[in-house]
Amino acid sequence: MPSGPEWARLSDQEVVLLARGGQEAAYRELIRRYERPIFALLFRMVRDRELAEDLSQETFVKALNAIESYRPEFKFSSWIFKIANNAAIDHLRRRELDTLSLDGSPHAETPEAMQATALQIGARQESALDAVEAKELGGAIEAAIGRLRPEYRSCILLRHVEGRAYEEIAEILDLPLGTVKTYIHRARNELRQLLAHLK
Amino acid sequence: MTPAPGPHLSAEDLDAWLAGALSADAQSHLERCPERLERTQAEQEVVGMLSSLPLMSPSAEFADRVMLSVTVPDPFALRSLESTRRRLFATRRTAALAASIALLTICSMTASIVWTLGHQQSLAELGAWLAGEAGRAAWLAVRGVASNFIEQPWYAGLRNLAAHPTRLGLASAFASLVYVGGIVALRRLLALPTPGVAHANV
Repeated sequence: MPSGPEWARLSDQEVVLLARGGQEAAYRELIRRYERPIFALLFRMVRDRELAEDLSQETFVKALNAIESYRPEFKFSSWIFKIANNAAIDHLRRRELDTLSLDGSPHAETPEAMQATALQIGARQESALDAVEAKELGGAIEAAIGRLRPEYRSCILLRHVEGRAYEEIAEILDLPLGTVKTYIHRARNELRQLLAHLK
Repeated sequence: MTPAPGPHLSAEDLDAWLAGALSADAQSHLERCPERLERTQAEQEVVGMLSSLPLMSPSAEFADRVMLSVTVPDPFALRSLESTRRRLFATRRTAALAASIALLTICSMTASIVWTLGHQQSLAELGAWLAGEAGRAAWLAVRGVASNFIEQPWYAGLRNLAAHPTRLGLASAFASLVYVGGIVALRRLLALPTPGVAHANV
């Protein structure tokens, strides 16, 4: 069984093979590799920390329990991002959220719940002023992303936050390549307009 | 300056511009169109802001919670399944043998179904004959057991007892008492020892 540093040398496909062979450590390695990007995508899609964590858990449980049905000729990242995006879109369809609350989840009812679900940004700042500025700027971007249509949101997050290629985004979202490019173009335009006041 | 004619920049053009690999045509279009250049620079800022969004992590126990709901296949079962599969397809001969057995099984099952469908009357008659024979055999067995029972030396005493209801009642009560006593004794024998004895201090 590979040890810590050896896992890093294995490709996703190789780790999946080990998971299929019944190695629990391989499952944990897949979670370690993708928990942050999946959680970040879902958080920015649904804008609620607790909900994003629940959806991330649902995504991983679904993916890992169906690991036998994963086809290695495709990228594992595309597969798991597709499951996560479907979970987010399903949720957004069920409950249409249209505004972002930087003070926490729109469903939080007490100050403690609002604090617990608040957007946690600005962890890398040096001074209090920097922290406030960065929080305002970060908050404004998060708010602007939150005002995009869900499909634009998925596209722009996958492209510019997760750094995925257009082709992979098309595969993840089951959209034609041209549509993905159009969505990204429109999303950038909308963000530019929404963030114009920051200049 | 008047805006330069030519195509607007696409999403890919912007990517190329950000990577410093914009085509000469698009580059000259940008240079001649300040409005377009300003807009592209604004988009570049947006992309920069998106790229600098903070990293986010779920809670520390996230992986453990996921693993609680994930079913990891049993490696031993997988290995034995895999080794059987390998043995089966190890050579052409074993693969051919496995295929022949599978084919034979499928053919015989199909033939059986076809024959059954074509001979429903015969099957019904056979079923009726078998049921009759089984009934006769069962009745014969019951009669044999009864005759054997009657021939036993204690049968007369039992019959005598059944003839007097008081004696029968007493005998039943005695038998019930013995049965209950037996159950109580058995429960005591099977009871687990108490985990600790308060005064033992060991």
